Amino acid sequence: MLRVEHIVKQYAGHRALDDISITTKKGEIFGLLGPNGAGKTSLIRIINQITGPDSGKVFLEGREIRRDDVAHIGYLPEERGLYKKMKVREQALYFARLKGLSKADAKKRLEYWFERFEITSWYDKKVEELSKGMAQKIQFIITVLHEPKLLILDEPFSGFDPINTDILRKEILQLKANGTSIMLSTHNMTSVEEICDSIALIDKAKLILNGSLKDVKAQYRTHTYAVQFKGMMFGFANSLWADYALEHSYQLDEEHAVAHVKLLKGNTLNNLLQTVMPVVEIQSVNEVMPTMNDIFIRAVKGEKGGQGE
Amino acid sequence: MRKEDKVSKIGLIISREYSSRVKKTAFIVLTILVPVLIVGLMFLAMWLSIEEKKHVSVLVSDPRNLCDGRIFVGADEKNPPATFFFYEDYVDSAMFASRQDMQQYDVLITLNPTVITNKTITGIYREEPSAEAKDYIHDKIELRLEEYFAMDKGLSIDEYRKIRQRMKFVLKSFDDSKEKSIRDKAQMIGLAFSVFIFMFILVYAAQVMRGVIEEKTSRVVEIIVSSVKPFELMMGKIIAVGLVGLTQFLIWVVLISVLLIGLQSFVFKDIMTPENWQGINDQAAVIGEISTGMETATMRSEWAEVFFNFVNWPLLVTMFLIYFIGGYLLYGSLFAMIGSAVDSETDTQQLMLPVMMPLMFTYIVSIMIQGNPDGTTAVWLSQIPLSSPIIMLQRIAAGSVSIWELILSLVILTFSFIVTTYLAGKIYRVGILMYGKKTTWKELLKWMRQA
Repeated sequence: MLRVEHIVKQYAGHRALDDISITTKKGEIFGLLGPNGAGKTSLIRIINQITGPDSGKVFLEGREIRRDDVAHIGYLPEERGLYKKMKVREQALYFARLKGLSKADAKKRLEYWFERFEITSWYDKKVEELSKGMAQKIQFIITVLHEPKLLILDEPFSGFDPINTDILRKEILQLKANGTSIMLSTHNMTSVEEICDSIALIDKAKLILNGSLKDVKAQYRTHTYAVQFKGMMFGFANSLWADYALEHSYQLDEEHAVAHVKLLKGNTLNNLLQTVMPVVEIQSVNEVMPTMNDIFIRAVKGEKGGQGE
Repeated sequence: MRKEDKVSKIGLIISREYSSRVKKTAFIVLTILVPVLIVGLMFLAMWLSIEEKKHVSVLVSDPRNLCDGRIFVGADEKNPPATFFFYEDYVDSAMFASRQDMQQYDVLITLNPTVITNKTITGIYREEPSAEAKDYIHDKIELRLEEYFAMDKGLSIDEYRKIRQRMKFVLKSFDDSKEKSIRDKAQMIGLAFSVFIFMFILVYAAQVMRGVIEEKTSRVVEIIVSSVKPFELMMGKIIAVGLVGLTQFLIWVVLISVLLIGLQSFVFKDIMTPENWQGINDQAAVIGEISTGMETATMRSEWAEVFFNFVNWPLLVTMFLIYFIGGYLLYGSLFAMIGSAVDSETDTQQLMLPVMMPLMFTYIVSIMIQGNPDGTTAVWLSQIPLSSPIIMLQRIAAGSVSIWELILSLVILTFSFIVTTYLAGKIYRVGILMYGKKTTWKELLKWMRQA
């Protein structure tokens, strides 16, 4: 859907983007991650053609992006903003028409979305009369009103309460189901795990991680398993010897406990089970996958993902 | 992007910016109130300058006794505006000014022997008589001289009138330093216009700046520039605010005209009877008819004469519009640029200084050059684009601008605002997305090169 090739952007004094190349697939949710100041917004602005790159190219659906492609892109900036003194309906129609929609189409779609969000009573309110959360909803509607093929959401969940966050997440998933490609920039790793198909992690202007969520997680797996058993923790720990590391453990009750065990020296899960089976009665075993939060922190700190380490 | 798309997007921006501004209460109130205020002031000036129409005593110095001590006065004339006295010798201006027995006369007309060959009647006055009185004096003396010429040539007066030429009539103040004429008042109106265009440019350019800052601080700008080019947004705003200014000005012109015409036909009816004024301009008027119209007018107001007759309103208003557009586009783009570079209105001060300086300087100069609209300073400043709208308007009001000067100044102004808008656009593009930095002029120049 979107292909970014070797983008470099230099501002006076510092390099905001250093040879960034990413590709997103049609109909997927792509997470653009990175600490503050990493260069995410710079990249998003280049894709939106608000600014141009110093070198590198952006392709949309296989051909180099052009000025009139903005009609097919929806953009929700991190810093939300609407005209405070303007009425909600007028404002939404204005932005939709700037994206190239006819007045009649814009009206029809606006009605659809307002009914969907059950906010038809806000039509003639001025934005300054709305709460922050209400204004955010309007802004989201404005972003999607022209039915963009590519939706770029910069921190979409910030400023929403849990209920509205949930509504928004469902809407994003619905848009995905309808075939919209979505690029999502966020700090919220939970939401990344929940909805992203692929991610790219940018830090200090460089791309340091890129791929599908599954692959990235696999890359960062630590071969740690959570073993729940009935028996003595003391005996369980003693049986492990030097081939395994007991990361941490906790008692469920007097008889049951869970232990997180990391496999060392090329041991497999089968080896582990054989080792502990004589000592305790195993009730369940799960692999402990790294959370996106862990991966984010480890990647930014410079740790490389790798099999078994 | 297809061309019609681009046009309609700028059109959308213009229509939003325009309608959101003209719907504001402040705009509506000002648009209605200002003409009332201006006409109120004009009315006051006219009212205060009303005076009893003074009866003028005219001394005719007639060494060759051409008039034979007589002036032909119509039998039905009540309240003639002037009475004539004769003196069969030369009276020069020094005698008229100083001699005790001359003080009772207001006007001295000298009938030199050359009056016949030059076809010009000359005279001096102590205090300028009304236009009506001047006409009266002109007519009566000319009539009397015609009788003399006709007799001299052995023709009847009717025969003579068929071949005669209208004589010129030149009346000057006996004291040059006291030359306080209607022309001075017209120049004051020129100054008023230049002050007015100064304020108009400043107010509307500042509105552009506030609009840019508002969009920037409310962060709307990022959404808009994801749909339109920053330059389109800037131009849309500048054009829309300019149109608001023009709308306001045109409404003012209409309202002021209506109010002035109302004043002319109701309040100043006595003073401003149109027949009076036709007499001045229409040199071919039949002399006998002029006197009949004069009987009704017993009051005069110099300001009323200036407002209703002397000032060339259509020219001034047209030039105001042209120079407002030019000056506004120039300053408006500079102000848009400043607005884009700051985070809030309080940060604008140090950036505004270099832009405000020429404007303030011009404003002060425009007051100083009053009375000398053709001096070197005025001529140069009426060409420099940062000052030309203000200075040129004043010079036009004084009636001292040649057409090529006007064209040159407009060409320079047009060229400057195109260049300024282009450069401002470059800075604007960078500025609107830059937050949290205290910007200096040095940095602005860097942005210009970067963009």
